[in-house]
Amino acid sequence: MKNLLKPTIVLGTIALISGITLAALNTITSSRIEALSRDKEQRALAQVLPGYTNIVEKEKSINGKAASYWVGEKQIDGKKQFGYAFIASKSGYSGDVVSMIGVSEKLIIEGIFILQQTETPGLGSRAEEVISDLNFWDFLAGKKEAEKKRPWFQRQFTGLNSAAEMKIVKKGNWTESNKDELLKNNEITAITGATITTSAVKRSIEAAVNDFKDIIKPADDGVDNETIK
Amino acid sequence: MKLLNEFTKGIWKKNPILVIGIGLCPVLAVTSSVTNALWMMVATTFVLVCSNILVSAVKSITPGHIRIPIFITIIATFVIVVELVLKAYQPEVYKALGIFIPLIVVNCIILGRAEEFASKNTIIPSIADGLGMGLGFGLTLVFLAFFREILGANTLLGYTFIPGMQPATALIMAPGGFIILGLMLWGMNKINSKNN
Repeated sequence: MKNLLKPTIVLGTIALISGITLAALNTITSSRIEALSRDKEQRALAQVLPGYTNIVEKEKSINGKAASYWVGEKQIDGKKQFGYAFIASKSGYSGDVVSMIGVSEKLIIEGIFILQQTETPGLGSRAEEVISDLNFWDFLAGKKEAEKKRPWFQRQFTGLNSAAEMKIVKKGNWTESNKDELLKNNEITAITGATITTSAVKRSIEAAVNDFKDIIKPADDGVDNETIK
Repeated sequence: MKLLNEFTKGIWKKNPILVIGIGLCPVLAVTSSVTNALWMMVATTFVLVCSNILVSAVKSITPGHIRIPIFITIIATFVIVVELVLKAYQPEVYKALGIFIPLIVVNCIILGRAEEFASKNTIIPSIADGLGMGLGFGLTLVFLAFFREILGANTLLGYTFIPGMQPATALIMAPGGFIILGLMLWGMNKINSKNN
């Protein structure tokens, strides 16, 4: 009996102390972690629906499950246009790549924002890599960057037509020199060594656009009909 | 003097990666950038020193046959501390290191030091041992990451290193990590055999 009692008490006490410590730490950090994740949704919306106002959250049922989407509006040439944002997710190289996608009513991508990914550091996780305009020597010389940029991988989606086929090509990083050609051909350049991640994002956009197709309609049908006439 | 010895052995003579050859999973996974390697060094050293202190403090009341569960409970506690603190105050770092933070729990260096050193020595030498092993592990990571990041991605600390140079992408992938690690082993053995 004695042989059983001592180990039980020792391990139990240590586990108890550990539990109390972690519970205390969790109380301190949880509010901050929550605030960060709420803040992230707002930042994501600002990136994927740039210039849109009155953004409201709505819900729609997809295959029996409720899914959130957001609708914003914007004045273009005096006409009201809607913009739609929704969550897209497909499995990448390790785990799901979850992003928020913003499209105009003509299904042109306004922006994407990767909310969550657990891809390989240095390869797939470069989907969130920001390349600075400065090089290392500028950095040593103490130069500062004018503004914080967005990851190049995500910026390249802006302006693509999600209704047409988006092709994945391997042209290195998205840069000033190749961006116009990629946009013209509706192409995405893959992250070097992480084509699976690239394709997961692409497939997630296609699937999400397909799921939400029926809610995307022009803000003002009458005006559109007039122009057709 | 003895204390200094406990500290320095982890950096060179008993370097956990290059000599003992343990903890290789994070070595290959987080050394694609120097920033990640530096944060991994901080996180691992913190867990290693803290767990060494506690393991050494409870060694007299630890029943031999359940020592491993006790060590793991202590290690896991500190890993969760690191995880929560990073999540709340350094979310970018937490995102970059991802799964490798929780995986510090099963890093054999930490359990190895608890079992081999801290459970047999007093607190002060255990701190020296933890610091030395942590730095030995971390500096190896940073050294490896330095070459992988420059040659494999042409960046250093995230900034372009030589504008216009085409990087050798193979080095940023796991096989490239093995190749540079192998060269580091060769270099270390070369220096050691010269000294003998």
